[in-house]
Amino acid sequence: MELDVNYMIDTFFLALGGISVTLQITIVALLVATPVAFFMAISKIYKVSIIKQIVSGYVSLIRGTPMILQILIIYSLVPSLINMIVKGLGWDFNVFDVNPIIYAYIVFSINTSAGLSEVFRSALLTVNVGQLEAAHAIGMSTVQAYRRIVIPQALVVALPNICNLTINLIKGTSLVFMMTVKDITAIAKIQAAFGYNYIESYIDIFLIYIIICSITQLLFALVEKHFGSYKSLKNA
Amino acid sequence: MLEIKNIHKAFHDNEVLKGVSIKVDKGDVVVILGPSGSGKTTLLRCINFLERADQGEIIFDNLQVNIPSASAGDISKIRKRTAFVFQNYNLFNNKTVLENVTEGLIIARKIPKNEAIEIAKQSLKKVGLSDRYDFYPSKLSGGQQQRVGIARAIAVNPDVILFDEPTSALDPELIGEVLDVMKQLAKEGATMVVVTHEMSFAQEVANHIVFMDGGVIVEQGPPKEIFTWPSEERTRQFLYRILPDRDYVI
Repeated sequence: MELDVNYMIDTFFLALGGISVTLQITIVALLVATPVAFFMAISKIYKVSIIKQIVSGYVSLIRGTPMILQILIIYSLVPSLINMIVKGLGWDFNVFDVNPIIYAYIVFSINTSAGLSEVFRSALLTVNVGQLEAAHAIGMSTVQAYRRIVIPQALVVALPNICNLTINLIKGTSLVFMMTVKDITAIAKIQAAFGYNYIESYIDIFLIYIIICSITQLLFALVEKHFGSYKSLKNA
Repeated sequence: MLEIKNIHKAFHDNEVLKGVSIKVDKGDVVVILGPSGSGKTTLLRCINFLERADQGEIIFDNLQVNIPSASAGDISKIRKRTAFVFQNYNLFNNKTVLENVTEGLIIARKIPKNEAIEIAKQSLKKVGLSDRYDFYPSKLSGGQQQRVGIARAIAVNPDVILFDEPTSALDPELIGEVLDVMKQLAKEGATMVVVTHEMSFAQEVANHIVFMDGGVIVEQGPPKEIFTWPSEERTRQFLYRILPDRDYVI
């Protein structure tokens, strides 16, 4: 078997163009999921009745189903729902004009919020309750105490897991081709279909994901070092 | 100045405080003694609402607060007049020594940063830690951490400082440095309520001893009286166990 090196190089650079879509979905999902996940974690920690049960159910539901299934369901369900509502209201709106990346935002935000809420919850629980009490004792409000004392400490604990989750999210976005979104994977696969150069395309995708994920890990390591400096053994 | 009336507090079915009242005047050093489980710490924690008592009243000069119905504003007012020194220090791990002290001034009391730093430096000088401003708590010994805890408490210029077994978590050789700081504070006229097992401190520094057992105050009075002529059998037993080398008149 021979690899078509020229094809590989061309496709590599072509597929690089999909990075923006991959990163867009990743960033939107993280931005939407972070506040939602934080409030889910808090309501579980403070055992807010009803909300706590809803959150638990939501998290089990999302974590207990394959991402690919969530994509299929959202992608077939949401457009029909919108169509129904639009028709019911008598608006002049074609649901097929909606950029499919919107559905990707929805699926990945839902999925990320469930995972992230558990990451936040476990991290917040590692901060000793004495930290909050000490803040209260010097007159700080609970919000001030969380913002300045508890969350910064929890974040350091959460970062490795957030990194893990982000990398899984980046890799997970490779499934968006099922929603006709043209990300890295989709571009390379479409290219491969012309001349049956699948192996070459797969190697290209492989390389691109390794590069993105390595950079992500590196960035997280730097952030972790920065925020965790108070834990290091040497004095700065 | 500070009066706590008829405090009741239960955790589930376990009634920890069964109607405790104490009075603290300006400049008093009140030491609360008693066996573990007698409710000393809970009483202290009820004073600044780290625990909310089920029943009782706090009177702080002209501020009178019924504890079960206290509003967030009442709690905040009382917390701003008190400071708390914890058994396990509870320094903010993500803040330097200086930041630990300025945090309450800048964030809770809205004192300008420059001014707060000046106050913090003075407080840290009092506890002998002027050379540790930029250290994180994890780099300090237990005794140093507790002294920062005291600096953090005095920086906010509280009317009364509450000490919850401040030396119990310390290695024996580090207890002295913390007690010295506390003695110095007492000498300067600070009002303190101290839960401790350090009998020498209670004898030398306190002007009022409260002996608690089983959620009630068994006996209280000046240290001389309590240590030499305890009127209750329970107090005698306790003191005998803590100070076995002393001869008590039965």
